[in-house]
Amino acid sequence: METNKNHSEGNLTDQDQLNSLRKLITGLGQKELERLQLLMTDPHEFSEEISELLPHAIRTLLSKGEITTDDLQPIIEETIQSSIQRNPRKLADILYPVMIPAIRKAVSEDIKKMLASVNASLESGFSIKRLKWRLQALFSKNSYAEIVLANSFVYHVSHVFLIHRDTGLLLHEERSAEAETLEANLVSAMLTAIRDFVKDSFKEKGSGTLEEIQVGSLNILIEQGPYAIVASVVEGQPPLDYRETLSETIEAVHYNHLNDLQQFEGETESFIHASRFLQNCLIQERKEKKGSVFPWPLFIIALLLLLSVIWIFYEKYNRQSEFNNFVKQLDETPGYHITQAKMRFNTYTISGLKDPEASPIDAIIDENNLQGKKIIYSLSPYASLDEGLVLNRAMRQLNPPDEVEMTYYQSGLLKLSGKATADWVYATSKQYQYILGVIKLDTSELNVSRENSFSEITTQNLSWIIPIIENYSFVFDVNVVSLDAEQQQQFDSLMSAAIFLADYNQLYNKKMAIFISTYTSRGGNTQANLDVANRRAAEFVNLFEEAGLTNELIDIQIVYAEDNEEQVPLRSVTFKVTEKTGDRI
Amino acid sequence: MIKKKITMLGAFAVGKTSLVQRFVNSIFSEKYQTTIGVKIDQKLVKIDDHLVTLMLWDLYGEDDFLKVKSSYLMGSSGYLLVADGTRAKTLEVAISLQKMAREVTQNAPFIFIINKTDLNDLWEIDTEAIDKLRKSGWEVLLTSAKENFRVEEAFDKLTKMMLQQK
Ligand SMILES: Nc1nc2c(ncn2[C@@H]2O[C@H](COP(=O)(O)OP(=O)(O)OP(=O)(O)O)[C@@H](O)[C@H]2O)c(=O)[nH]1
Ligand SMILES: [Mg+2]
Repeated sequence: METNKNHSEGNLTDQDQLNSLRKLITGLGQKELERLQLLMTDPHEFSEEISELLPHAIRTLLSKGEITTDDLQPIIEETIQSSIQRNPRKLADILYPVMIPAIRKAVSEDIKKMLASVNASLESGFSIKRLKWRLQALFSKNSYAEIVLANSFVYHVSHVFLIHRDTGLLLHEERSAEAETLEANLVSAMLTAIRDFVKDSFKEKGSGTLEEIQVGSLNILIEQGPYAIVASVVEGQPPLDYRETLSETIEAVHYNHLNDLQQFEGETESFIHASRFLQNCLIQERKEKKGSVFPWPLFIIALLLLLSVIWIFYEKYNRQSEFNNFVKQLDETPGYHITQAKMRFNTYTISGLKDPEASPIDAIIDENNLQGKKIIYSLSPYASLDEGLVLNRAMRQLNPPDEVEMTYYQSGLLKLSGKATADWVYATSKQYQYILGVIKLDTSELNVSRENSFSEITTQNLSWIIPIIENYSFVFDVNVVSLDAEQQQQFDSLMSAAIFLADYNQLYNKKMAIFISTYTSRGGNTQANLDVANRRAAEFVNLFEEAGLTNELIDIQIVYAEDNEEQVPLRSVTFKVTEKTGDRI
Repeated sequence: MIKKKITMLGAFAVGKTSLVQRFVNSIFSEKYQTTIGVKIDQKLVKIDDHLVTLMLWDLYGEDDFLKVKSSYLMGSSGYLLVADGTRAKTLEVAISLQKMAREVTQNAPFIFIINKTDLNDLWEIDTEAIDKLRKSGWEVLLTSAKENFRVEEAFDKLTKMMLQQK
């Protein structure tokens, strides 16, 4: 520069002329030219100059559309990449304040969501899982809380720290009975360090303080006061109002220890009095009291209620079916006919019919284990046609000797067989029509002990033979005259009485005879009818005679059933025992 | 029971962590593992019949990219300012850190430690510089975490100063 100056001093006029010429041509003065020269010769200056222009140039190029952001992108990416490779820490530091709050916000959103769902499941109460835990607790030595804790469902505050805010020194610590010892001093200091770190990192307004740290399955809740912070180590999810408990605690500590806190120099002894406040934060049992866990006693009561309702219904069902069985059995028992059965509470009502001959109800009650039950019967008496009952009735009314056997047919026929005395047979012949259910008596197979009766005849009456004889009747088909096998048997039975007729006459000095009446209608051929009737009568005369009855003991009467007044079946033969007049019709 | 917070301050790799480990756990490792954030240890010491729990906050070292944040220093009753005798530059870092620490801790006591005395051949700090610091009122101690040279003395001395401060 100096040489330059010297040189210009020598040719001032020439130089001036040149200068004005240069200025004329280029429009640039001496100073501008010098600057241009400097830029061209000094690369540092030049780059400096360009660097000022470049951003403007790029912006102009972008706005003109000469280049696009896409063109710039690879360059910028490359730059960032190489920057990361050279010094990753720097970029991390730059991004940290932006990223961490974002991450934290995302995490706290997740925590909130989880909290809500845990809360919901806590409030919904019953679940099979919980029941399982309860059972597990019942059958193992572990307490329910421990099992629940192990299942990380119900919370458990294991430690509460009171920490001096500035120094991070532990002022006081409380821990639950089950909690393991922690290096509380270290934990406190570390929490403070983390808090400081967070405080530095989150410069955004409002939510810049650290409230919760997750360490594995543990949650550390932090509540800050102006001089101290309280940190609570929680396993599981505490109730939502736990945060309030923490802030109340930190307030109480400040209120009671303000001087100690303000003048804190590392002396922690006085903070032992903060113990009672911190203990409030050690919740675990209190939650059970609050009932935000499953209301167990209530459940047991409900369960018992349910069981008893089931039991009552089961009992009722049982009793109902027992009763139904009883009623059914009763109805099926001969001599009972049940029309209605009701069960109300403990009183049973049974209505229907009962045959006096039926077996007593007691036996059926015993059989159904219904002893002692209050049963009201409203049973009207009736006569059952059940074979057994009719026989019972006959047994009671006829009082037959041991040798007599009785058979009852549904047609109303009571058949006697075996052996009986003549007296009894006579009495029976009088009695049988009063037995309910018995319409006819069949003695054809009964052996009447004659020998015995002969001796009795002299002393006793023979009047029984007459009703027996008169009880028989024989009905024939059209034009049939001879007896079929059954009628033959009937006739034999008739003979067992008729054979005594001679003795009867002798005993009472009478002239009784059997009048054989044969009935026929006038319809059709009268002569033919008469003919058949005659032949039937003759047949009986013949039969009687064959059986040993003498002629004077027999008489015949032919009757036409002209009008319906005669209640006699047509084509029948009946018998009457009357004094013989000697006339024959 | 008295508790005190002590912070380790200094440039990176000067031996802050090594000093704490030597003091607390009586161990030393040649391996360099840089501290990220803060590592906290505690030690119970007995000074004149006083039991004091020291909470030792071992901070990451300051380097060109990462300045030490003042918030970690808050509440410190004292601090150890550490430099590496084999790197003269760490002395400057320490001096600048002290300015910040003095403000944050409101003139809490500190000891200036020049570490790694065992590395004689590589020593870069001349006695003049040390004397100059001592003259300005600083407590300067030359230590070796590796050879356990005057490490305990440094901590004890600081603790005494802290207790007297009160
Ligand atoms: N020879 C020798 N080496 C030491 C001494 N103290 C520390 N070192 C070594 O120095 C290196 C750094 O030590 P650190 O204690 O990790 O240093 P620092 O200050 O904690 O480092 P940052 O945490 O990164 O700030 C390690 O390799 C140590 O072995 C010492 O007294 N003598
Ligand atoms: Mg370290």
